[in-house]
Amino acid sequence: MLELINIHKSFNNNEVLKGVNIKVKKGDVIVILGPSGSGKTTLLRCINFLERADKGEIIFDDLHVNVRTASAADISKIRKKTAFVFQSFNLFNNKTALENVTEGLIVARKVPKAEATEIAKKALSKVGLSDRENYYPSKLSGGQQQRVAISRAIAVNPDVILFDEPTSALDPELTGEVLSVMKQLAREGVTMVVVTHEMSFAREVANHIVFMADGVVVEEGPPDEIFTNPREERTKQFLSRILPPVDDYVI
Amino acid sequence: MRPFNPLFIPEVFFEVLPFLRVTVLMLAGSLFFGSLLGFILARAKVSGRKASRFIADAYIAVMRCTPPIVLLFIVYYGLPELLLSTAGVNINNIDKGIFVLVTYTLLYGATLSEIMRASYESIDKGQWEAAVSIGLSPFQAFYRIMLPQAAAVALPNLCNVIINLMKDGALAFTIGLIDIMGRGSLIISRNFGAYALETYLALALIYWGLTLIFEKSFSILEKSFSRGKKSLAE
Amino acid sequence: MELDIKFMIDTFFLALTGVPVTLSITAAALLISAPVAFFMAISKIYNIKILKQIITAYVSFIRGTPVVLQILIIYSLLPSLFNTIIRSAGWNINVFDINPIIYAYIVFSINTSASLSEIFRSALLTVNKGQLEAALSIGMSPVQAYTRIIIPQALVSAIPNICNLTINLVKGTSLAFMMTVKEVTAIAKIAASYGYNYIEAYLDILIVYIILCSLIQLLFSMLEKHFGSYRKLTGAAQKTV
Repeated sequence: MLELINIHKSFNNNEVLKGVNIKVKKGDVIVILGPSGSGKTTLLRCINFLERADKGEIIFDDLHVNVRTASAADISKIRKKTAFVFQSFNLFNNKTALENVTEGLIVARKVPKAEATEIAKKALSKVGLSDRENYYPSKLSGGQQQRVAISRAIAVNPDVILFDEPTSALDPELTGEVLSVMKQLAREGVTMVVVTHEMSFAREVANHIVFMADGVVVEEGPPDEIFTNPREERTKQFLSRILPPVDDYVI
Repeated sequence: MRPFNPLFIPEVFFEVLPFLRVTVLMLAGSLFFGSLLGFILARAKVSGRKASRFIADAYIAVMRCTPPIVLLFIVYYGLPELLLSTAGVNINNIDKGIFVLVTYTLLYGATLSEIMRASYESIDKGQWEAAVSIGLSPFQAFYRIMLPQAAAVALPNLCNVIINLMKDGALAFTIGLIDIMGRGSLIISRNFGAYALETYLALALIYWGLTLIFEKSFSILEKSFSRGKKSLAE
Repeated sequence: MELDIKFMIDTFFLALTGVPVTLSITAAALLISAPVAFFMAISKIYNIKILKQIITAYVSFIRGTPVVLQILIIYSLLPSLFNTIIRSAGWNINVFDINPIIYAYIVFSINTSASLSEIFRSALLTVNKGQLEAALSIGMSPVQAYTRIIIPQALVSAIPNICNLTINLVKGTSLAFMMTVKEVTAIAKIAASYGYNYIEAYLDILIVYIILCSLIQLLFSMLEKHFGSYRKLTGAAQKTV
């Protein structure tokens, strides 16, 4: 469904993506892991052109673009097929929760208001926030804001939802509510590409892990392979630091 | 000491208030055209090429240092000359108000552009990114998400600018504009210099009153805009 | 459009002779109004009932009326007022011999004190309350706490606003010619009236003010660097990759 081929991206002479390839099939839940600086967020942002890659191609169903020559129309098409959930939520501060969710439908997809409102209400109830419809973002907790952000993403019915460290900015107590929403979405078959440090999510929900370091994909495969039998040394190094040691006896 | 007749002050009010129309018209006009100029300058500074950014920077820096009365006279004496020699257009008979509008548009265009730019830049870019990521076009993202938030931030500064513009506009009478100041100076010359103090006091009271009205209106506007915001008190 | 360049060059140097007058009005206004403004700021912060109301009304009136009107009011009020005082005190001074620059000092001090008091007030409020508490708890008297800890920090944060105020003050002095003060504008205007070279004269005045304004901005940015060196520089936002 979605394929990124040979993506390169530099910021000010610093090459952050050095030729990355990714394939996303419908229904996949792909988790991208890696140390900071590995380029995972940049890769995600290149998919919906929040960053424009320097070189490479993106194939999205029947849409085939060269990132350098992609037109505004192509970008717009891609953005209408995707949705992005940000680390810092980025809810529209001047709109209520409900309005945040209907905005993409009414303005970008010309859905009539009544229909959009209905879709939005369903999306909000799915994340458990029906009672907060008319609240402004400033009156919601971080976890609630992120859940509204997720319902904003699902309301537009995208082919794939991109998550950029969705729980990193949350207090530990609030990450649970967001992760359970994401797990629910995965169970329902929503295609997701997630950059995260939440290993439990990666292990339990993902069907494909991509490990990146220093701008390249070091290793990829199903979770049990990557977590229990990583092939590359770099992968082992990363996992040993992130995961608790297997034999950890409490005396 | 020359007799001071406080009862003269209300008389001045009645004679001068009809000309408030001119004062307000100049204020509104300068604000309108100044905002257009300000938008162009702000855009040049935010997203323009190096050359346009430099020109905008230079223009704003020069205007910041320019005393209003100096610009007023440069425009008043210079504009007719300029138009005459370049385009052969003779504007010696046009309304003094045109010179006033040009002067304050040029001057406050700079101030307004800085306000627009600062308030736009203070809005988290993540808002724009979120908007385009759900499919809004860049223009829609600007117009529906960034602009309303920037406007709310700009409001207090806008209030100051309007009040300053009104006060600077009081100089327009020096080139012969008959606004409340112009009418006031006519009153004084009619009385051969007597009652100058009373007239000036009356005019000062009018300006003070207008300032208070603007301040109150803006504080009401600011309250209605901050419906969704966290106030400092929370 | 022809500009008489020779006239412009000559008048430029002539106009420069008015700069000391401009600067003296600016300096006098700042120096005289500073203690007054500080007093007004403190009174408002400490909520001294009647004083606060008087000050609020005063500041509101001064900031709500054009400088040109303040100049005209003072200029039509003070000479005859002084005259009355002088006559009744029996002094033998001719009011019209008083250098009009005195009136300029008075008007611009009054005007500056109002704006400056607001700048001081907000600057004092930005200083963390904990600074005062810490100073008092190591045994400093309130006066010491203010002069050694609070005020220096408040002043540094106020520097950009004071810079703005000074620039506006300098621009305001361009109106002092209405009181027959021989500052930059007056001198250039007089020179212009001989040959009707108004445009050239006013362009010269503009150039002089641009130079003055740039020097002031330079001065204040140096002040800010020097006095603000104790502050932590906020680094550029981290770029997440």
